[in-house]
Amino acid sequence: MARISIDPVTRIEGHLRIDVEVDGGAVNKAWASCTMWRGLETILRGRDAREGWVFAQRFCGVCTTVHAIASVRAVEDALSLDIPPNAQYIRNLILIAHALHDHIVHFYHLSALDWVDILAIPKADPARAASIAEGSSAWSGNSRRELEAVQSKVKGLVESGQLGIFSHGYWGHPAMRLSPELNLILFAHYLQALDFQRKSCQVVAILGGKTPHIQNLAVGGVMNAINLNSLATMNMDRLGMLQSILEDLIPFVQQVFLMDNCLLAASYPEWFHYGKGVANYLAVPDLPVDAKATQFDLPGGVILDGKLSSIRPILNWKDEGFRKAVTEDSTHAWYQGGGPLQPYKGESVPDYTDFQENAKYTWVKAPRYNGSPMQVGPLANILVGYAAGHALTRKWTETAFQGIASVHGLKVTPDEMQSTMGRYLARSIRSAMLAELALEHLQLLTNNILKGDDTTYNLPQFPSGEIMGMGMHEAPRGALSHWVVIEKGAFTNYQAVVPTTWNASPRDEKGVPGPYETALLGNPVVDPEKPLEVLRTVHSFDPCMACSCHTLDATGREIAQVKVQ
Amino acid sequence: MTATIIGLGNVFLGDDGVGPLAVETFRSEYECGSDVEVLDLGTPGLDLAPYLYDRELIIIIDAVHAGSPPGTLSVFSEADFVSRRAKLRVTGHDPGLWESLAHLRLAGRAPAELVVLGVTPESCVFAEGISQSVSAAASEAAAVIARLLVDRGVACRRRPTAAKPNLWWLPIAGLERAAI
Repeated sequence: MARISIDPVTRIEGHLRIDVEVDGGAVNKAWASCTMWRGLETILRGRDAREGWVFAQRFCGVCTTVHAIASVRAVEDALSLDIPPNAQYIRNLILIAHALHDHIVHFYHLSALDWVDILAIPKADPARAASIAEGSSAWSGNSRRELEAVQSKVKGLVESGQLGIFSHGYWGHPAMRLSPELNLILFAHYLQALDFQRKSCQVVAILGGKTPHIQNLAVGGVMNAINLNSLATMNMDRLGMLQSILEDLIPFVQQVFLMDNCLLAASYPEWFHYGKGVANYLAVPDLPVDAKATQFDLPGGVILDGKLSSIRPILNWKDEGFRKAVTEDSTHAWYQGGGPLQPYKGESVPDYTDFQENAKYTWVKAPRYNGSPMQVGPLANILVGYAAGHALTRKWTETAFQGIASVHGLKVTPDEMQSTMGRYLARSIRSAMLAELALEHLQLLTNNILKGDDTTYNLPQFPSGEIMGMGMHEAPRGALSHWVVIEKGAFTNYQAVVPTTWNASPRDEKGVPGPYETALLGNPVVDPEKPLEVLRTVHSFDPCMACSCHTLDATGREIAQVKVQ
Repeated sequence: MTATIIGLGNVFLGDDGVGPLAVETFRSEYECGSDVEVLDLGTPGLDLAPYLYDRELIIIIDAVHAGSPPGTLSVFSEADFVSRRAKLRVTGHDPGLWESLAHLRLAGRAPAELVVLGVTPESCVFAEGISQSVSAAASEAAAVIARLLVDRGVACRRRPTAAKPNLWWLPIAGLERAAI
């Protein structure tokens, strides 16, 4: 039996340590530990509730906008304040563009190299690769010339012996099984993705004033001025510019990103049988289509024990069941106290011990939903939508299944999505859906403006007594909720229950492990010195530790140490 | 010439926030043409790439653990930085910077020139504010940025009257939160 400790896990945001025990080529015990302290709440206490979002969007350097939006929604909830339809659509477009950006970066730049072997690329036949790629989609960037150019760059890199940032990959690992041609196709898209990452940033910048830290939010709406007769405000030119950027971005998402995930799934079918983990799923409703947020374009709900038929919908943000169900426990986290607390009453007083696997071992608390651990993220989002019969989710899930079957006949079922590969596939399905919704929400905004409505903001009025509110957002990494207590217009408590807290949760007071820890059980490990397969399952969750705990290490070790005992 | 001035750093981590402070100081004391962008990017990791994409000149201001006294300014060229890298304890933002650059280089979209203006931090402690030695270096850092631009033929001039910098994250002594 070998004990492997990967510290830190690379190609994620922030610091995560994973410990596993491997016996007979498979993992039989796992621990997820976040090695940085989180002190976000401390910063928010005492702040003006109208400005909380400005601070909240610095919780994480990557998911800036998601915290800004959850923060204003929490304060608006406390005030029972509606926002104008224009504000909903502008916020929705920002959220969609940010999510597309995030999903593209995760797949290509943070996790593709767990599956794509760079050193195999020089052996590829570009003509054959072009014919495979052109056969799988109508995308124009798959020409033989394009692929030859990428191959020659990689050859240059390999021949120079200076792999630079690629020098620590597990190249030639027995679990790398793509053909040289598929390796070339995926790496070509890895480079092309940089342009589309940029295009999604442009959408956020046009609407939000700036990226990565948007400037246009306000408790009560957005601060975008709308005037079709002014050059300086939101006008038909600006709307046309958004339309044209989205029309460039969407084919990449729907034809390349989704198809690459289908190719990957068809090439690694065994990964539909590893990494299931906690089979309770939570997704919250998002992309409201009306001012009062009664109808949503992304459905929310809870699925238990992996049974799609068990779905209980979360119909809107007022859902009392959700508010009562969420608790956080710090029995195994480096905070004082133990037992589960409702977030409004949450505490975060540090109590650091060393890594003690049977006691405290992480800075992440254990969130629970009616006492159960939950998995959040694109997979939860897709399973909830599929189970609820949501037409758009079904349409793109079926498209993905057909894409996989078109390669060499592999049939995938929604149940098999509960796996490491399913999490990758779900992220690309969700992106295809969001791409379609981007144009719809731009149309909703345009129609509403053309109707003569230029309102973007309702003035908040703060009572002097204590009020409480909760803001939800189905963020790229899953269900996010900010819980605030406000008195005389200032925060007296602020707790953020973030997606990575759900997924990277440690064991709770009953000893029940969290989703990462459970998903790793049974995961194959061929070579304990090179635990590539562990990274595949961990990366499938898209860990982002920067807000699930806090960046305290300014020196940043770059190379993961893998210790085998 | 297109140029982008980028401040990196976490504004809540003491001197790690010197990048955002320096670009905000530069913005308030100097003015440039529309081909110069001045950005506080926080801690973007790999999300740095879109801001470096196809630009001609990039100047990054960041806390760099260079072993010199706190507040010391050091200018590194890209090559310089790469060759001396092993000897420098660089900040946590470094992996994102070098990976983003490597990606853009392979895609043929890397900036023609990258300069890193490092400020040696004294203390990067959560929620404790920026230290005196480092905040005192902000105006000098702004002047160095201006000189780097002018040396490369980019128009940049000192404002006759400095604008008010927007340092929203720094505690303001003696000022109570505005009553609502």
